[in-house]
Amino acid sequence: MIWEVFRQDKKGDYHQHCGNVHAPDREMALMFAQIQHARRKPTNSIWVVPKDEISEVDAEHAKFGGTTDKSYRWAMTFNVGAVAEEVADSETEQVEAEKNRGES
Amino acid sequence: MSVESLSGPTDLSDREREAVELLLRRMADDEFVLADRYTEWQVRAPTIESDIAIANIAQDELGHARLWYDLLEDFGYTEPDLIWERDPETFRHSTLVELPFAEGDWADCIVRSYFYDEAEHLQLHALADSSYPRIRDRVEKVLGEEDYHREHAVNWLRRLVSSDEGRRRVQEATDRLFPHALTLFEPARDAADAEAVIDELGVRTRTLADMRAEWLETVTETMTDVGIDLRPPAVSDDGSVDADALPDHLGRDGDHTEHWRVLFDDFTGAYREMELHEATRFMKDPDDE
Repeated sequence: MIWEVFRQDKKGDYHQHCGNVHAPDREMALMFAQIQHARRKPTNSIWVVPKDEISEVDAEHAKFGGTTDKSYRWAMTFNVGAVAEEVADSETEQVEAEKNRGES
Repeated sequence: MSVESLSGPTDLSDREREAVELLLRRMADDEFVLADRYTEWQVRAPTIESDIAIANIAQDELGHARLWYDLLEDFGYTEPDLIWERDPETFRHSTLVELPFAEGDWADCIVRSYFYDEAEHLQLHALADSSYPRIRDRVEKVLGEEDYHREHAVNWLRRLVSSDEGRRRVQEATDRLFPHALTLFEPARDAADAEAVIDELGVRTRTLADMRAEWLETVTETMTDVGIDLRPPAVSDDGSVDADALPDHLGRDGDHTEHWRVLFDDFTGAYREMELHEATRFMKDPDDE
């Protein structure tokens, strides 16, 4: 049975997919995942998920983001002149806020 | 238990030094030889995952051996003195760690590591308050890796016994290895004085007999729990086990099985063939880490 492995560097970070392990059950999967995916990298937490429990839709079957031009939605469209600094500051603030939300 | 601290390596009396040295050699040799045996499973373990896990455990044990051999270097020995050019008759490891694995028998590897890791766990805790500061300071580092080893062994044990074939193999490995595992707690009979001084000075805060009693209780309980027949040997009042329960060679006093010489020649082969006179160092001294 295949278990997908998700590793979190440090508290508050997202768990990121880092590979998989073969294991007969959850306990063994966690045990193998520790050694295989967390021994050489700084790790705060590991998730294992049965591969079958993951649902997928890919680019072949979906038009991700639609088919018409929506580039106006990118904040960088407005990233010009004096306004740019303000936008950049705002973006930094939001990134900071998001990080703090995660860590609290 | 609080004990008076011994001084550093250069200020020990001969008597103290002999005791510390004996303890370090028992531990370092156990870890080194077991690690070497574990590496035989490289590319041969049942699955890629179990292969990687046992290889990592071997690396851990090798790392622990390095920590203990490094403390022996405090007494003026070099790595070739301690390993590569050493008289194989002076190695003090338990015969449990030197035996070859029964061919293709993963149960042998798991039962062996279970017996060993339970013993190492007890010993490390008995060193956490060692009167010898250099040992005491390194215990925590080693303990940090030992929990995984025991978890690994127990998880595998439980699963191996879930089929008839697996249970038969675990039983056979247990019958074969248990007498040798008892030598983990045997004193070095050629160094009885030093063994007594280890306890007297609190270099280790529990006696071998005391640790063996707890170990017997724990492993008997675990094995019984997974449906394996394990009958603990008779233990005398002084804590020694019946000689009939022990194997012919105890290891601790330098007396080993015929397999030891083969293994020793094997791992020192490259050193001899390349006519080396010193060990290649590619890692920092543990004190500088």
